Amino acid sequence: MVARALGLACALLAGAAHAQAQDALEWLRRIQEATHRLSYSGTFVYQHGARSETSRITRYADPAGDIEKVEVMDGVPRELVRTRDTVKCYLPDSKVVKVERRTGERDFPALLPDAVALLQQHYDLSLGESRRIAGLECRAVVLTPKDNLRYGYRLYADRQTGMLMKAVTFDSAGHDVEQVTFTQLSLGHVTREMVKPRHPATRDWRVEDAAAVPANLQGWAVASDLPGFRKIVELKRRLGDSRPVGQLVYSDGLAAVSVFIEPMEGQADAVRPALASMGATHIYTREVAHHRVTVVGEAPAASVRRIADSVQYQPNKP
Amino acid sequence: MKEKISALMDGELDERAAAPVLDALGRDREAAETWRLFHVVGDALRGTAPLSDGVTARVAWKLAEEPAVLAPRPRAKREPRRWMALSAAASVAAVALVGWVAFGPQQPAPQIAKAPAPPPPARQETASAPATLPFTSATNDYLLAHQGFASRISLQGMVPQVRTVSETSAEAGK
Repeated sequence: MVARALGLACALLAGAAHAQAQDALEWLRRIQEATHRLSYSGTFVYQHGARSETSRITRYADPAGDIEKVEVMDGVPRELVRTRDTVKCYLPDSKVVKVERRTGERDFPALLPDAVALLQQHYDLSLGESRRIAGLECRAVVLTPKDNLRYGYRLYADRQTGMLMKAVTFDSAGHDVEQVTFTQLSLGHVTREMVKPRHPATRDWRVEDAAAVPANLQGWAVASDLPGFRKIVELKRRLGDSRPVGQLVYSDGLAAVSVFIEPMEGQADAVRPALASMGATHIYTREVAHHRVTVVGEAPAASVRRIADSVQYQPNKP
Repeated sequence: MKEKISALMDGELDERAAAPVLDALGRDREAAETWRLFHVVGDALRGTAPLSDGVTARVAWKLAEEPAVLAPRPRAKREPRRWMALSAAASVAAVALVGWVAFGPQQPAPQIAKAPAPPPPARQETASAPATLPFTSATNDYLLAHQGFASRISLQGMVPQVRTVSETSAEAGK
């Protein structure tokens, strides 16, 4: 009798958890839809540790292609303009514009309804607290990772529109790693004029074009992919001024990790394995077959390192 | 210009005075070389950085060219100088950001000397424990290159983009 009651209670609880996951999934779809459908302008603060930085964002939603502009308000002026095909980073002080063109677009699993559902393979979804953010009533959706290979996320969405108002990244111990919060947001009233770069690159600017093209990096392989992370693109590109490098990008649908491979021509010194960290981003460097391998990702340091450590060069393999 | 670069490195210029110098560092190859040499010389003076052959040669050449008050220390052995090398090769943007680090409102200027500091010498037993390095401006190129994809994947929309934009100033706290 007692066992039966317990069994019933467990079933009810499991059912409740399942229902909550479904609700959370629905919220995620709303967030996804809202952040891509809406035009808006606002101010947000990015925080990691004791540091914070304020930026302005303007998004112009248009069927012909959305345009998004981010201006960093603190420190050296920096401005990013993202269109359907390019990401341009303007550095007015040094008169440099860095250009990333999109390649292999159709390979991206992003932003399909299925992709959201697939997140459940690696994250437990649940609904969290309600909170007021920048004057809007918000509800939290919590993505708790099922393993320690990735970070967790608390996403706060406006109840009315589904607009993402705050995103907190947390580690496996539950500690916040970094967060982005809107302090002010206004929906609509955005014109195309408002998303133009403030400093259009004129002739005296230097253009650093990544000139990325899809490529097969022959002989290079990541031996043991991280569970859930799959390769979404493989290309050749330029880095900074001129360095030619190979880039592989892996993603689990939320987090992305890039692997850069660059020849060490003219450099006699060995690369010592090294890790650099800030907020949720980690960079791990090591040397493989006289190439510098640099892995960059918004994943725990151990995951980034694990990917770096599994990079192999087998010249006989195509 | 050399005096200005020196003053910039020492954190003696305010933001307004620094801007044209940073600008020159971006445009003028000679100025950029001076900037780099000053750092190398500074490292050598502090005895913190074993130098690579090429760098030593250039320092020696520069010193020979203009009678200077110091001689480069003879090198005992070669050590990897990856982060310094990256710094040297880094874009104008990186230079500008290094400058920002020096003159950012919350940032005491002397930090600039520490920011590009090389990792401590490698030891055999640390082969499995990597050096932990600060985020330097030299990492900007990687971050920007990565960010283009990160922002496409995530359902968080602008979040990855924001993250990477912000990262370019990460040295402020280092």
